[in-house]
Amino acid sequence: MNEYVDVDAMSPVDRAALKRLIMGLADSKRLMGIRYSDWILGAPTIETGVATSSMTQDEWGHARLLYSMLKHLGEDPVVAEHDRPAEAYGNLSVLDEPAENWAALVSAMVIADGAMTVALAGFAGGRFEPATSRVAKMVSEEEFHVSMSTAWYRRLADASEEAQLLLRAATDRQLPVALAWLGTNDAAKEALAAAGVTSTAAEQVASFKDAVRGVLASGGVDVDAVAPAGEWDTDRGRGLGQPDADSIERARGDRNRALFVE
Amino acid sequence: MLEIVYDVFARKNRGDQLSHIGYIDALDDETAKVYAWTTYSEENWFEMCIVKRSSVIAVNLTEGIFAKARGDDA
Repeated sequence: MNEYVDVDAMSPVDRAALKRLIMGLADSKRLMGIRYSDWILGAPTIETGVATSSMTQDEWGHARLLYSMLKHLGEDPVVAEHDRPAEAYGNLSVLDEPAENWAALVSAMVIADGAMTVALAGFAGGRFEPATSRVAKMVSEEEFHVSMSTAWYRRLADASEEAQLLLRAATDRQLPVALAWLGTNDAAKEALAAAGVTSTAAEQVASFKDAVRGVLASGGVDVDAVAPAGEWDTDRGRGLGQPDADSIERARGDRNRALFVE
Repeated sequence: MLEIVYDVFARKNRGDQLSHIGYIDALDDETAKVYAWTTYSEENWFEMCIVKRSSVIAVNLTEGIFAKARGDDA
């Protein structure tokens, strides 16, 4: 891609689709960061907790960069970050609730973080200039997350029966949702792919499956045999539902409003 | 949980001496790389590498952490 899209010349429909994409990615990053942060002090080892803290920072940094792209659409990123209700969040719905155990977080590392990275890579390779310059670095920073998630997934898949059951339950719950998030080819996704802003839904699903096929197989999961979840909210580009209230308070920074410096 | 000890070495700038900056416990080489990078993140390292402590060959001491790490297999 060597010619950037002129955002000002985009149709209202395409601009809305681009806004939905940015919000969905940014909200997913913010919620992923919260899910990581929940385990900084509860991870199996000190080193794992430190790594989880670092991944939290990565995700929140990525979220802020993504929210800032809204300025190119004439939107105020501060409003997007701090003043939206839960029902407006466009995050991957796997992240709506806290991970109930370490195995569920490990599964989310592979599936949710992995799906986000695929979506980001598609965005980085497209024709929206801010994404081409900023998102590639995000994708490279995710390499450490992949190393961490792959090692832990394989470890749990080879651990006790209880660990295996917890991992499998989380995977069975998360994988269809992630496949739908990447692969639901609604009008907004088609429009962005046609405009060259991002890769197609089919390409993203194929890339995601290639990325996770091996590691999920270690847990007995055949990614090619799993169907995407059926429920879809076209307005937000995600499954039905919304993040829990506590997470939204944290995502918006409700408790620190008096300290905002923006 | 069976973990492996890795020693961490790094240099701040090209041309600096590689220095031992600490150690981490990890499941395997891949997690060790992640843990080393995230645990010793106080500097913007030019280069970082890790070595399994059990691979270090003690030269002059028969006691101490490196000699002990090799055990009878040395």
